[in-house]
Amino acid sequence: MKILIVEDERELATDMVRYLSGEQYLCEVAPDYESAIERINLYDYDCILLDLMLPGGSGLQILQHLKDRNKQDGVIIISAKNSIEDKVKGLQIGADDYLAKPFHLSELSARIFSIVRRKQFDNSNILEQDGLKIDLLSKSVSVNGKELQLTKKEFDLLLLFIGNRNKVVSKNAVAEHLSGDLADMMDNHDFVYAHVKNLKKKLSEANYGNHLTTIYGTGYKWQA
Amino acid sequence: MSKLLDKPLKMFALYALLLLSCSIPVYYLVVDHIWLGELDEHNHIIQQRIENKLSKSDFSDEEIGNVVKLWSVVEPGTSLEQVFMSSIPHDSLYEVTRTTDFDGEIETDRFRGLQSYIQINGKTYRLTTETNVEEADETLSAIAVVTVAFFALLLLGFILLNRRISKQIWQPFYATLRNLRDFDLNKNPALKLDSSDIEEFAELNQELEKLILRSVSTFNQQKEFIENASHELQTPLAILRTKLELLLQNESLTQEQSELVSSINAPLSRISRINKNLLLLAKIENQQFADSEQVEIVNLTEESLELVSDYIANKHISVERLMLGNPIIQCNHALFEILVNNLLINAITHNGDNGIMLVEVSEKGIAISNSGSAELNAQKLFQRFSMSSSSAQSSGLGLAIAKEICERYNWTISYRFENGLHVFSFDF
Repeated sequence: MKILIVEDERELATDMVRYLSGEQYLCEVAPDYESAIERINLYDYDCILLDLMLPGGSGLQILQHLKDRNKQDGVIIISAKNSIEDKVKGLQIGADDYLAKPFHLSELSARIFSIVRRKQFDNSNILEQDGLKIDLLSKSVSVNGKELQLTKKEFDLLLLFIGNRNKVVSKNAVAEHLSGDLADMMDNHDFVYAHVKNLKKKLSEANYGNHLTTIYGTGYKWQA
Repeated sequence: MSKLLDKPLKMFALYALLLLSCSIPVYYLVVDHIWLGELDEHNHIIQQRIENKLSKSDFSDEEIGNVVKLWSVVEPGTSLEQVFMSSIPHDSLYEVTRTTDFDGEIETDRFRGLQSYIQINGKTYRLTTETNVEEADETLSAIAVVTVAFFALLLLGFILLNRRISKQIWQPFYATLRNLRDFDLNKNPALKLDSSDIEEFAELNQELEKLILRSVSTFNQQKEFIENASHELQTPLAILRTKLELLLQNESLTQEQSELVSSINAPLSRISRINKNLLLLAKIENQQFADSEQVEIVNLTEESLELVSDYIANKHISVERLMLGNPIIQCNHALFEILVNNLLINAITHNGDNGIMLVEVSEKGIAISNSGSAELNAQKLFQRFSMSSSSAQSSGLGLAIAKEICERYNWTISYRFENGLHVFSFDF
């Protein structure tokens, strides 16, 4: 699967490439407006990570360019501006998601995962991964045809872990995934432990193998 | 404090009082002098007439004797008597005060007299003429009364004039004062002062406008600086965070090392939190978040409570909701959400385990309370970074942001300590 990273900050772009390349993603970087447009015209991508402030133009213009050409690439806006107007405007033009800098790479990976799968399966909203069947729309999960009763937070957790297979996801990232911006305002993320414990318990009750391991003092890892 | 114009008024009044007081004896002396001069002349004329008449008509000594006798009865002010002197003395003036019994009333009168000597039929006679003069104290008191009356009129005039002057001439000054009082650096319309045709005021207004212009530009620069600075910090912070995450993925990391990496996350989160809040504060101050809509307050509050439910459960805080109405307020949705979230977060982070949290929404406003041990300094609570020194959790900006949002909509946010609860409330 191909991902285009439109980001002028070289360090950040390199880090994203490094993190995402471990998965089955093939990443390309466009550091400015011109090269981004050039690549978009030449290739189709499963997902485009789009910074809004670029040398030579604005990310919103690139987005408009995509829509004008009726391109179906998934788009996640990654912006340091964190302005509500930009977010609303971006989503209106047709971005699939918006992520404010600074973000956790695991969060980015989980979002890419959802968008790519959705696009791949013709917006069917159902993913199958590691023996799990996940319906993104009804937020239900089944193991071998047997439905799992998950709370909304447990469901969100599962998506985060599956979107970061074989990666360590820090407790911070989990907390932020569950409570959004609010997690940023809190220091104590002990509640994460309770949700993870419940998820693990439900998975093992459904006779699903133990994929989720706790890395002491750091976070969690979904091994597959 | 006294008004500027009252000061010269006081001085003027004192000077007038002094001058008019001095004028009383001066007037008296002048009036008395003129009066005496006139009377002396009057006496002299009478004596001249008598002398003429007596010396021209051919009276015998006997007749003259009769006249003198008759005279002293009819006209006591004038007397004529024969004197026997070898040389005739000069005329002389004198003043005398006499007490007369006038129908039982004792009156003291002052007289001005002229004594002269005339020759009739070769004999020397002393002619004395006296005329009643107004008494000194009567003149003096009359002048004093008139002077006091004039002083009163003068004072009245001063006061009235003073009022008119202060109304008219000081008009531009008061207009400037009003403008300054209404001026709000935060709302930032450049201050425009009325022009004045009085040089001093025109100059004052000019200098004030310059001063305010400088303040406004400094203020804007400061706001821009905060926004730019925190914006510039976002990228390095983002890089730092991604690097740490990449480091965590390293398989060869020992447990000790990975714990170290994790422990960097907490202060990093704090920097990032402070930075985000600074940026937010700058944005609110820079009048972003302009659009507004009808916000259903109860719904929004419930949603926010749901968002923080994990943190509430984790601390075993018992929450009591009191939804006493369903207010719908015209404001910016995102800002209101931030306001409520900040107050909720505040009530959670500064609450103890097993504490109480009270969320009350009414048509009037919202009050969010949490358990606490001692009253906090309400003066400093809403200032930036004023309370955060000891706590590693707080960004030191949450309440400052809440206050900024409230001020934006002219809501009053307040703190009180009541029955062991810290109560933060704002009224729409």
